[in-house]
Amino acid sequence: MSLKRTNFQRVFLLGAVLLVLMFSIFPFIQILSTSLKYQVDWGNPSLIPAQINLDAYKELLGISTEEIELPETIKIMLDSPAISEEQRAAIVKKFKSNANVFPFGRYMLNTFVIATLTALLSTAIATFAAYALSRLKFKGRSAFSNMVLFVYMVGGVLLMVPLYQMSVSVGLASSVTGTLISLLLIYLVQTLPVAIYMLGNYFRTIPFSLEEAAMIDGYSRTEAIFAIIIPLSRPMLLTVMIYCFVIAWNEYLFASVFLKQYHDFHTLPLALQTLFTSKNAIWDRIMAASMLTLLPVIIAFTVANRFISSGGTEGGVKE
Amino acid sequence: MSDFIAAQESKLGYRMVAPAFLVIGLLILYPIFFNVYLSFFDVQLNGEKSFVGAQNYSKLLSDSGFYDSLGTTLIYLTGTVIGTTVLGLAVALLLNEDFPFKNTVRAIVLLPYFAPVISVVFGWQFIFDPVNGVYNHMMVEVLGWSAERRNLIGEPDSAIWVVIIFDVWKHFPIAFLLILAKLQSIPRDQYEAAAIDGYGAWGRFVNVTLPECRFVIATVVLLRLIWNLNRFEDVYLLAPNVETLPIYIYYQAFTGVIDQGLAAAISVVQLLFLSGLIWLYVKKVLKW
Repeated sequence: MSLKRTNFQRVFLLGAVLLVLMFSIFPFIQILSTSLKYQVDWGNPSLIPAQINLDAYKELLGISTEEIELPETIKIMLDSPAISEEQRAAIVKKFKSNANVFPFGRYMLNTFVIATLTALLSTAIATFAAYALSRLKFKGRSAFSNMVLFVYMVGGVLLMVPLYQMSVSVGLASSVTGTLISLLLIYLVQTLPVAIYMLGNYFRTIPFSLEEAAMIDGYSRTEAIFAIIIPLSRPMLLTVMIYCFVIAWNEYLFASVFLKQYHDFHTLPLALQTLFTSKNAIWDRIMAASMLTLLPVIIAFTVANRFISSGGTEGGVKE
Repeated sequence: MSDFIAAQESKLGYRMVAPAFLVIGLLILYPIFFNVYLSFFDVQLNGEKSFVGAQNYSKLLSDSGFYDSLGTTLIYLTGTVIGTTVLGLAVALLLNEDFPFKNTVRAIVLLPYFAPVISVVFGWQFIFDPVNGVYNHMMVEVLGWSAERRNLIGEPDSAIWVVIIFDVWKHFPIAFLLILAKLQSIPRDQYEAAAIDGYGAWGRFVNVTLPECRFVIATVVLLRLIWNLNRFEDVYLLAPNVETLPIYIYYQAFTGVIDQGLAAAISVVQLLFLSGLIWLYVKKVLKW
């Protein structure tokens, strides 16, 4: 805005920009750096690893090539002639699989599946609701849209106890399938308001005359939605889907309440927290796991980046 | 004919909102009321409950943990709201200037906001780690401000400040984004007029920028209050010993001596605060 800057002002400005940049990305660099360091190097404040250590990544991604040593007692047991060939194979297999204590891939898959289902379901339901709210006249429309805004701002913590009790009283909490269904439904409802809100705002920017023209051409209202609105909204639908995906990908609270005893179905946030609290002195693995959890989100947002700054932030996005 | 079309339209409207209404009704609206109901019961994890009247509330009022938690929440809200807003405003002003790679810098600054909490909390844990962390290295070895390495996150009194700084780091980008959008819409000639009136940079900031941004700043403050009153993950995962209201509720409901009825009662209290803030937001910002 100032027309001419003195050299001092220019240096000051650039210095301040650099400071802000450092503040923003320092923790990320720290995470990346520690994930690549050997243990002896952890306490070294330098961000550049003395020697690159990829073991943590290899281990998490299951491409570690190290042979797992069987304990001596087991070896002796295996040599005993009383054990059949099949039993021997089973014991060896059990030990080899147990050695992989942190099945990162499994957790990533769990999280990916539930986040994808959430994103698809939520966007589909929200598309119809948002269309109705932005286009159709019906009694109770504004009441419904006020309600969406209200529930959008009610945090999950306030619903934790009643939702848990509901799931217990209808019997869903007592089985794995039921628990997973409960969790999926909760993620759906946690993302639905923000999806309706974002899509509603977007649909209002599409000129109604386009649908009108389609309807004059003989399309029904519903057909016009599929022929006009949905194709036109493809980028926004993708953005909303990514948004919902990321909310589910990040969710910790309900996952911890519902999935605690089902270790096989842990999602990444829950698994990482468990990993962190269960053992000490494994900074490299935790940091590598952090990097791998971060990656899909960064990719997702790079894809959606163009649209985020335009529509997504109005009114404060769901966090 | 037009009545018929209107009737058709409203029928289609109901059909289209029905799924969303059902899901929200069943999983948000009903639980809100069910929660109020539960707050009058002694509730077990397995679903057994017995009516206790207002006992949960009287327990709450005599519970020092609850007051501590209110105090912690107050410090947390004050610190984070002031921090995010001031930093957001400062960074918005800064990045509104011209300099090389402006758009790249603006995009990078948003990164903390979009990063999953779980993927960054351990990085922050590491920074403040008493053995390996760079914070203690700076304080003790480089600057010499502290005689010994301290476990900042381990002690609740200092952990709350780490939590606040973490929250400011993570959420100032959204304040920055909202304020920047407003800054870009302020007409240039207002600044020129102020310059002709003899105002310097500070005078232009106070007399042009601030009045123009007043509304968006109020919005940022209200939204931060609302979201941070709800916030669970960012606090719990970084420093589980900082007991803001949501964390206190979580502990009551699922850990140690489980008391879900009491947790429900605290939730009701928190919902009242929250509703007040939402009402303010709707009235003042959205102006219904």
